[in-house]
Amino acid sequence: MPGIRLGFTARRRLFLVMIGLPAVLYMVLVAFWPLSQGLAYSFTDYTLTRPGPVNWVGLENYADMFADPAAQRAIVNTFVFTLAAVGLQLLAGLGLALLLWPDSRFNRICLALMLIPITVTPLAVGLIFRAMLEPDFGILGYWARVWGLSPARGYLADENLALATLIVIDVWEWTPLVALILLAGLKSLPTDVLEAAEVDGASRFQRFHRIILPMLLPAIFLALVMRSMDAFKIYDSVFVTTGGGPDNATNVLMFHAAKIGLEFFQIGAASAISTFMLACVGLMSVSFVLMIRHAERRLGSR
Amino acid sequence: MQTSRRGALALSALSALAAGGASAQTGPAMTLTMACMNDPFATVLARLAPRYAERTGVRVNVDILSYAELLSRITADFVGRTRNYDLCTMDIVWAGQFAEAGHTIELSPLMQRDAAEIAVDDIYQAALLGIGNFRGRQIAFPFAAYVNVLAFRRDLFERAGLQPPQTMADLVTAAQRLTDAPNNIYGWAANGRRGAPVAQDWMIYNAQIGGSILGPDGRPAINSATNARSLTVYRDLFRMAAPPGAVNYDWAARHEAFRQGIVAQHQIWTISIPSYENPEISRIVGRTGIILAPTAEGMPKRYGIGGWGLGINAAIDERRREAAWGFIKWAASAEVQRRFLDANVGVFTRRSVVNDPALRARFPFFSVVDESLANGDADFRPRIPQYPQIQDLLGTAVNAVLVGTADPQRALDDAQARAARLF
Amino acid sequence: MSSRRLARRAGQASLLLALIVFLFPIAWLFATAYKRAGDIFAIPPVLTFTPSLRNFTTLFEFFDVPQLVLNSVIISFGTAGLALALGTPAAYALARLETRWAHTIAYGFLAIRMIPPVAILIPFYLMMRDVGLLGTYWALIILDAMQSTSFVVWMMFGYFRAVPKEIEEAAVVDGCTQWGTFIRVVLPCVVPGLIASALFCIIFAWNNFIFPSFLTNASTRPLSVAMISAYGSNEINWGTMGALAHFSVLPIVALALLLNRYFVQGLTRGVH
Repeated sequence: MPGIRLGFTARRRLFLVMIGLPAVLYMVLVAFWPLSQGLAYSFTDYTLTRPGPVNWVGLENYADMFADPAAQRAIVNTFVFTLAAVGLQLLAGLGLALLLWPDSRFNRICLALMLIPITVTPLAVGLIFRAMLEPDFGILGYWARVWGLSPARGYLADENLALATLIVIDVWEWTPLVALILLAGLKSLPTDVLEAAEVDGASRFQRFHRIILPMLLPAIFLALVMRSMDAFKIYDSVFVTTGGGPDNATNVLMFHAAKIGLEFFQIGAASAISTFMLACVGLMSVSFVLMIRHAERRLGSR
Repeated sequence: MQTSRRGALALSALSALAAGGASAQTGPAMTLTMACMNDPFATVLARLAPRYAERTGVRVNVDILSYAELLSRITADFVGRTRNYDLCTMDIVWAGQFAEAGHTIELSPLMQRDAAEIAVDDIYQAALLGIGNFRGRQIAFPFAAYVNVLAFRRDLFERAGLQPPQTMADLVTAAQRLTDAPNNIYGWAANGRRGAPVAQDWMIYNAQIGGSILGPDGRPAINSATNARSLTVYRDLFRMAAPPGAVNYDWAARHEAFRQGIVAQHQIWTISIPSYENPEISRIVGRTGIILAPTAEGMPKRYGIGGWGLGINAAIDERRREAAWGFIKWAASAEVQRRFLDANVGVFTRRSVVNDPALRARFPFFSVVDESLANGDADFRPRIPQYPQIQDLLGTAVNAVLVGTADPQRALDDAQARAARLF
Repeated sequence: MSSRRLARRAGQASLLLALIVFLFPIAWLFATAYKRAGDIFAIPPVLTFTPSLRNFTTLFEFFDVPQLVLNSVIISFGTAGLALALGTPAAYALARLETRWAHTIAYGFLAIRMIPPVAILIPFYLMMRDVGLLGTYWALIILDAMQSTSFVVWMMFGYFRAVPKEIEEAAVVDGCTQWGTFIRVVLPCVVPGLIASALFCIIFAWNNFIFPSFLTNASTRPLSVAMISAYGSNEINWGTMGALAHFSVLPIVALALLLNRYFVQGLTRGVH
């Protein structure tokens, strides 16, 4: 008997490793190989359109990036954008999810309709908002200017409001997705625990804070990590609305990298920026993981 | 006598038949792919391509792409030698990059060989040398030259009793006089958006005041006194006379503003003129006048030109190159150029077409075009390999000045320092 | 009672408000397809206009719309299929392998989504050239599937963890093979998760723009790229874009509505 069980475990292990291997190999080939090439380029002066030898320049691309005011601003803007947009999406998404939680025909239809913004390609979303916010003839921008709700130049041309406007656009586009993820989390909560709390006389707020929120942490984590990884790579809306302006106010890392890599064709410098981006997102994700683990321990221990 | 004449006729008929038959047999039957900018000429080319196929057996697939996409894709194609595109449209400012990288083939031998067919003398010198020629190498053939002209609202000028501006000073005065913000009328507009839009617009006004991006030695001279002065004027015009949203305008937004009737005058590329007369999209039909772009008092009269050329991928084989060259000759021929203008697409490459009486009668502003091209300035945007970076530097600097976060001289000094490092 | 009714009414009113906010820009875009170009930016802007179908006829003249839709469908469904085929077994393996590294590896998969497109675009482009796949659907499917697989692994990881081991053990005792157990016993438990993952993969691939614009050619180009070709240097052809948006948005909306049940259900378990 024991002999057979040992054999089984080993066989099972082998089976599991074998079925998991294709995905890992795929990642190595499709993701890590080009990525390591990109990393290698980041230490060179490789320019796509300049014939001639490619020279090793060490950390020069990175140094240039940190010394360039446009890139510095891009770093700040990207972090501000990511944290603000994702934070607002989480709050708004949670609110929407709570509203949509009770099961009713109205709620189901609302949810289905609210998923529509996700289905529009992000570049088109940028173009739509740019057209609507145009202060001289946009359907929202014109009236905002005339009624004094926006600066004369419009939201997107104002150094102080442009980034905030892009944040609002991102919140508009992705809150429904966050709401969906959080709603799924809410619907998966064990009803017996909730009912018990209600019977125990806990107030709404207490129920929320002590029971719902801790059990919702995995869903919050999924939404947080997914959205922050995508928000960090924001590009489309910047490209079509402000071109990084006014005066670097909306310059973000991906836009900066794409300009250097796909307009100037300086692959080395662009690779340095994207490697840096990768490191930032990695750090961000790790800190989110630690944060959630910490929160889980604190709240979940009850 | 009669028999011999009949014989001669029969002989010539036979040879003509044979020649026609021969060309139908020897003409290559192949498919070429062309990367085409999505300017108005693209749809005309797409429409005419089947007729070219009927005539020569060469099918040309016109792949229409937006500006950024076009440059990235064809560069990747050329560098990667993936041979996805046999031909491409090349913007005037890309000549330096393309020449340095050897993306497209040198056309001079072909041009010399077929000189009679292409009638080079009929093409405006400024277009021939400006579009596709870099330091003596012709790496693209001009087929869609654009002219920078001033479009103004005749009705607004007449109402205010003003003459259309002849000099830059006139333009500034008219802009101030015609601005009536409470009634949604602004005296002037230009691009303000960071990047290519503002850089290119400022460069043209700068050239008209006598400024220049490059010095006489071909190196950047961005922070010259003249440049700083013209940047100050540009900024002041924005403050005094431009629509509030102009600081974020690109070409699309600016044309929309003009078509909606809120702008009194602005400088444009001729390619956009027909859209003003299209009642489907314009509210100012019949009220636009076109005149020469104004230059500063006392300056030699030079007018900015731009536009597109056609280049042949250096990675394709001889047979395909020959077929591509055939298409280029056809697209740049007087017959096809006339078709563009018939379809209301404003490209002006050949003198004979621009001065054609029938077209002149239909489009009186062609006289402006003729004079502009005769004194065309293709270098107000330096067509050097470092152009993308220089355009970006200027795009940021000028935008910063317009927005108010930088002072003209300082912004230009900064741009100059960075530009110098490129060389 | 009445305070609860009031709360419910207030909730519904807020949802309606949210709906208006989320749907207004879409309605605007769709409306541009029916407007004459001059009305799109009338000054001062108004909501009324005289409808016309001109943009649709122009659209069909210059774009092979059925081909574009087909391309988008092939690319999106292909991506989802490949991602599910690769990611589901991997997620199962991670869930069942009794190792402390399982969580870390799952995070690692998720990390693939962190890669900025511009970092791998040119190397991948050259790689595809070398294997001769440039311009085909496969180049794009392979690249999109990379990001989708990581998502599928992450999603299904939580799902599989929730499937009780007893079911599998019972099947093994009954004489089922390992693979058979996986296919016939475990997978049916996670079908909602599979559908939800598939839907997400389809949506992300459908709307992707940077990769398709580089890796496809005219015959394999999807809708997202075609929509952006309306973005001209002289004018933005809003009418065309609005008309094309109908074909780009409506199929996905229909799909989401059809699978709405699975969508929410699908995420329910996967988040743990």
